[in-house]
Amino acid sequence: MTHLALTNVSKHFGDFMAVRDFNLDVKKGEFVSFLGPSGCGKTTTLRMIAGFEIPTSGTISIEGVDITNKAPSQRNVGMVFQSYALFPNMTVAQNIGFGLRIRKEKEAAVTDRVKEMLSIINLENKADSYPYQLSGGQMQRVALARALAIRPEVLLLDEPLSALDAKIRVSLRAEIRSIQQKLGITAIYVTHDQEEALSLSDRIVVMNTGEMEQIGTPFEIYNFPTTVFSANFVGTLNNASAEVVDPANGLISIDGVQFESAVNLKERKKGDKVRVAIRPERLSFVSEQKKANVVDATIESITFLGSVVRIKVKIGDTKFNMDTFNNPFLDLPQIGAVEQVTCSREAVLVLDE
Amino acid sequence: MASEKIRKVAAMNILARIRRIPFWSWFWFILGALYFLLPLYATLNFSLRMERDVIGFKAYIRAFEDPDFLKTFLYSNVLALFTIIASIILIVPTAYWIRLRLPEARRIVEFITLLPFVVPAIILVFGLIRIYSSPIKIPFTDIKLLQPLTTFEVGTDILIVAGYMVLGLPYMYRSVDTGMRTVDVRTLTEAAQSLGAGWFTIIVRVILPNIRAALLSGALLTFAIVVGEVTLASFLGVPAFGPYLFLLGQHRAYEPAALSFASFLLTWVAMGLIQLFTGGQGQAAGTH
Amino acid sequence: MAQTALNKKGSSPASDWKKWIGVFPFFLFAILFLVLPSLRLFVGSFTNAEGQFTIANILQLFQEQSILDAYWLSIRISAATALGGGIFGFLLAYSVTVGGLPKPLRSALITFSGVASNFAGVPLAFAFIATLGRTGFVTALIKNLFGVNLYQQTDFDLYSFWGLSLTYMYFQFPLMVLIMAPALDGLKREWREAAENLGASTTQYWLRVALPVLLPSILGSMILLFGNAFGAYATAYALTGGRLGIITIQIGAQIRGDVLHNPGLGYAMAMGMVVVMAISLIGYSWLQKRSERWLR
Repeated sequence: MTHLALTNVSKHFGDFMAVRDFNLDVKKGEFVSFLGPSGCGKTTTLRMIAGFEIPTSGTISIEGVDITNKAPSQRNVGMVFQSYALFPNMTVAQNIGFGLRIRKEKEAAVTDRVKEMLSIINLENKADSYPYQLSGGQMQRVALARALAIRPEVLLLDEPLSALDAKIRVSLRAEIRSIQQKLGITAIYVTHDQEEALSLSDRIVVMNTGEMEQIGTPFEIYNFPTTVFSANFVGTLNNASAEVVDPANGLISIDGVQFESAVNLKERKKGDKVRVAIRPERLSFVSEQKKANVVDATIESITFLGSVVRIKVKIGDTKFNMDTFNNPFLDLPQIGAVEQVTCSREAVLVLDE
Repeated sequence: MASEKIRKVAAMNILARIRRIPFWSWFWFILGALYFLLPLYATLNFSLRMERDVIGFKAYIRAFEDPDFLKTFLYSNVLALFTIIASIILIVPTAYWIRLRLPEARRIVEFITLLPFVVPAIILVFGLIRIYSSPIKIPFTDIKLLQPLTTFEVGTDILIVAGYMVLGLPYMYRSVDTGMRTVDVRTLTEAAQSLGAGWFTIIVRVILPNIRAALLSGALLTFAIVVGEVTLASFLGVPAFGPYLFLLGQHRAYEPAALSFASFLLTWVAMGLIQLFTGGQGQAAGTH
Repeated sequence: MAQTALNKKGSSPASDWKKWIGVFPFFLFAILFLVLPSLRLFVGSFTNAEGQFTIANILQLFQEQSILDAYWLSIRISAATALGGGIFGFLLAYSVTVGGLPKPLRSALITFSGVASNFAGVPLAFAFIATLGRTGFVTALIKNLFGVNLYQQTDFDLYSFWGLSLTYMYFQFPLMVLIMAPALDGLKREWREAAENLGASTTQYWLRVALPVLLPSILGSMILLFGNAFGAYATAYALTGGRLGIITIQIGAQIRGDVLHNPGLGYAMAMGMVVVMAISLIGYSWLQKRSERWLR
């Protein structure tokens, strides 16, 4: 049931390796995000699916048909650009109908389809407006409609929301997701915003300097990151160097303070250096609920972030962020006091250094 | 079999490389280069052949040694200098005033700077001569304020400098205005005032130095316009370089070619300097 | 715009008037050396020999065959060089922008265009005489390479309509390049990619998207080129010595001595020119505004 497959796809630009050995099987109707910082190769990979770049090696296929070397105009994938790229000399309706007219469809069919798309994106009253008369959010919806009008096999979106205001971004991304689900269309979404990726995707591909770091569902990526990069990039994280104390029982020590982890350490030896990550929201005060690990922590600062209160603590010699939900009856400790902090074994993530 | 495949791939690579060469772009470009360079080459070639069968600079030497050349070239340069200075004195305070105190005047001032396009040199000189060849009187009386400017030398000098200022107005104003916008003269002025500077100090020591690039670019363009100008110069009867060159062309063959090529080089230097100082697009001006 | 600390007084009529002092020198200069001369011509065109108001001069503009011929010749040359200069200039600008030639060639072309568009008048005329005159370089080249004697075997004459047009191109092409290069840069790469993505070929993209978007710019520039050629005097005079009767040359003759025996008619001729230039400037400005809307 693989709809879109990328197999061993690599791309060089001269000496520069933009994408290395990218492998992905996407099911029909699946929403997959490519998530990573600028320059990680996510846009390049997307453009290879669209046909604007040709892979140096590897193949791309849709429904089993190899499209690796096909011209962009022959692929039947719909692309939404970051800068919308609406044709300025055409009205909204003409923009949406462009692909259909190129395919020489009958005028009546084109008009119907355009009307259909306009109602999906809720811009029926703007059909005869020109792009320069529209707001950013409206332009992006038209761009989406234009890409969907041709009934593409795959919908590609290249950071479509980064040029928009924060509020519009949130409402528009929900709209994009609901349209995608309603039409059941396979979608690849490129973004550097982890909140977007987490909230929209069926699966996320975390990318870094041309390589795939991790593939998984949002839940998996957030809670079970497999690499330091994934852990750092998605969500905030406490990060510390540690030493393995007892591989059989999963004990590690951070600056001499011992933690028990649920991660399988049997492959390691005592004294191995590892990287330990703990999500801020997994640390809490013992007074609330005692969990497997209990350590002493000195309170360094307390910052009020709205719905969350961030407490900086020092455990051993290492600083940690501790996040707790805000409520009016919160009993916050004094700065400089030593309190007992606890977290579960599962919260202690051990990653490769 | 493997070597055959390698050869095929190599051939495909060469083909792909060839297909990527934009044939038509090169075609138009080379055609354009030919059109532009041939006349320059022809002029240069002709100018070097004054002595029979010898390529030499005789024409250049003869041309530069002509006392009339020196006189008129100097005159035109001085004219250009006066035009530039007068333009700066007129335009810089005006542009400054508009930016700071009188934005309402902007539209009408910009309209005025467009007028020289509508009134080309030949029309301008027509009007200038007709108006200033009669004495300037207070209307409806016989009281003479000024003798006709066209009848005395300083008068025609004034007229032609004014005329050149008009021709250069669009470019000079635009250049200065853009320069002031880039540098944000409003903030600079406020800073200078808060430090106690008076108006004269502000303009001379704060504003002018900061719009140097714009002034230079406007000045160089004015220079390019004035030195080769013929229309205003010949009708107003001033001893400028343009009319001299034209007259030379009636009597001699090689020297005019030499001076033409030299003037092309001079224009190139001026425009090159502009590019250096502004790093932007070239500007189009000049009397045709 | 907000008032700054510089302008402490409120907007009373007295201080309103004072504000305009700063631009007074400029207005005075404009009046003395731009407005008054133009006005003199304007008023003169409506004045007859006795000094009274008349529209006879204007009417005569359209009746006097020699004047109509002069205007028509000027219009034809301007239109020819605007069209030719526009098309070829566009192709040149295209070749170094979208057309994909190496970057250094683009800077060379832009710099050269800046120079060439200022290289007009007497030196340009001499350069073309040295190139295509009777003993010109290219004339000789054609004789040697193709055995064709340009001046004897063909109708070609440098000192004619086509010769002058060819010469005018030397500053028309560059002007077009200087205007179109930035406009072509304004064509977003994403438009071409979006069009390709939706199934369009390169030709379809140019016909349906790129050329329509560029059209106001192209037309506006051609109109500017038209005005540019229409008002040209020095090049034509230096090249043809006044033999080719374009309108600027006729006006020049009129300035030197009243060849029409009717000063008012001379002024009317000048005014006619101003009207044509004004129409061309208005057309250019309007089209420029429209193109800015799309090529932001």
